[in-house]
Amino acid sequence: MSTVTARVAPFERQPTATPRRGEALWAVIKRKPLGLASAALLVLLVTTAIFADVLAPYDPLATQPEIRLAPPSRDHPFGTDDIGRDVLSRVVHGSRISLWVGVLAVGIGTGAGMVIGLLCGYCEGRLDLLVQRLMDAIQAIPGLILALAIVSVLKPSTTNAMLAIAIVIIPGNSRIVRGAVLSAKQNRYVEAAQAIGCRHPRIITTHILPNVTAPILIIASIWFGNAILIEATLSFLGLGTQPPTPSWGLMLSSTGRAFMEQAPWLAIFPGLAISLAVLGFNLFGDTLRDAWDPRLRRQG
Amino acid sequence: MHKYVIRRLLLAIPVLLLSSLIVFGLMRVMPGDALTALMAESGNVGERELRKLREDLGLGRPYHEQYLIWLWQLVSLNPGYSIFTNEPIAAALGKSIPVTIELATLAMLLGLVIAIPVGVLSATRADKPADYVGRVVAVSGLSLPDFWLGTLVITFAALWLHWIPPLGYASLWESPWRNLQQFLLPAAVLGFRLSAATMRMTRSTVLEVLREDYVRTAWAKGLEGRIVVYKHALKNALIPVVTIVGGQLGTLLAGTVVVETIFALPGMGRLTVEAILFRDYPVVQTNVMLVATTLVTLNLLVDLTYAWLDPRIHYQ
Repeated sequence: MSTVTARVAPFERQPTATPRRGEALWAVIKRKPLGLASAALLVLLVTTAIFADVLAPYDPLATQPEIRLAPPSRDHPFGTDDIGRDVLSRVVHGSRISLWVGVLAVGIGTGAGMVIGLLCGYCEGRLDLLVQRLMDAIQAIPGLILALAIVSVLKPSTTNAMLAIAIVIIPGNSRIVRGAVLSAKQNRYVEAAQAIGCRHPRIITTHILPNVTAPILIIASIWFGNAILIEATLSFLGLGTQPPTPSWGLMLSSTGRAFMEQAPWLAIFPGLAISLAVLGFNLFGDTLRDAWDPRLRRQG
Repeated sequence: MHKYVIRRLLLAIPVLLLSSLIVFGLMRVMPGDALTALMAESGNVGERELRKLREDLGLGRPYHEQYLIWLWQLVSLNPGYSIFTNEPIAAALGKSIPVTIELATLAMLLGLVIAIPVGVLSATRADKPADYVGRVVAVSGLSLPDFWLGTLVITFAALWLHWIPPLGYASLWESPWRNLQQFLLPAAVLGFRLSAATMRMTRSTVLEVLREDYVRTAWAKGLEGRIVVYKHALKNALIPVVTIVGGQLGTLLAGTVVVETIFALPGMGRLTVEAILFRDYPVVQTNVMLVATTLVTLNLLVDLTYAWLDPRIHYQ
């Protein structure tokens, strides 16, 4: 038995998908202008978030009442808000909240969704039936409304908004992973691995997981954009990030709407930032799908 | 077919029961109980009033009893009273549901009116400027937050056109023109967002169908382009589009929450947000359950529409 395992294992370990996927993605990014644009947007967002302290010209919380509602100028390219805070600095720092919420909410949601999907798809049976009905029940409630209800119970804050978004993400992800696991289980090499007596954890991690990573990464990148959008919406409704922390959605609701006619820049720039970030992730999701979905690759 | 419908309806019951458990559980997770939190926020409420309210709401009973009572109230269409306004929830819903239905229907119609022609145009002129414009508009629709779009639309209509939607809600039957003025912008904002995904789906399915043999045959026998595209290709391309539209019902209902808040429309979405902000949990749990039930029912209707669109589909 051990000799068979020894012969099979190196053969199957060989096509670890990472370098090929990286190459395929790079090829699509180079070939498609929208792919390149999405990658550029994401690099811009991440760089802004990491170097926010250096890039922001002013302290995002520092008030200067003498220059309140100043229009865009050389000193304040995005203008100032109703208590004289620099809008550009607040938009730059707001990228941190958005990215942070995106990373953690999608990370937790995808991670939990993957574990649930792997277990359900692999074990099937009663556990699968029960968990899938639970996922159905969560999915029956629209994401934003569920997030609103969760946040209202947990009290509005950035962390709770993030947790609420993570819970919203879990059912869809678990379903995609479950589907991918069910189809991966049909492969001969999984049957072979079972036949030679591989343990379940090894079969799951070595033989099934590589088949699941591509759909998970594609869906995660699209969810990333959605997570940013939901956080902004929750903050806009007063149920996400709380003042004075600079969050794009909050900037739009707290001052953006109130002074919209007097000072449209208060709403335009944070809104533009949300749109560009979400656009970047949506386009990147499309690019990943073009690169990694074999069906589309053949058509292209 | 009848058997299929009955089976689907029966399957929906455990899902909805689980949803109700989740919603009920959520509202009880709050540290202390909802009422204590509520009173701490509003201040100066005497111990006696608090006890009476708790008794009226049945908060002293064990959880399983509270759950069963609430479930019975829902089934008998008498979901109790709002903590804040003391108004029967059924009466509040009776006023707000028509607003949301009107908004959602208008938005869906506007969304389809934008999405299907642009999607077809994008497909028939694939990789040409018109296609690029269509695709950029579609991706923007997915990325622009509706609360931002709504805010911009209101402001720029006021600044440039010196026009603001009339204040104070007027129902469609009382004053149709005033009502239309109030609903047009919010429905357009919501419709634009919905059109994005439908447009993308229409484009890709029309592209796929245009490569089919029977479409080639239609071209070969000399049919006019319009007839080939709209009569032969579009009908078959519509099936996956119906799936997308069905899948968007959740987005639509969630979208009404934001759009109704911005445009001050007294619909279910706004009622829910206000109830959440005031922690009026009997209203929150009833509204969330109503939305879940609506979604499950609409999804069943969407599935049945497939059979009507594609006679090859038979449900057993």
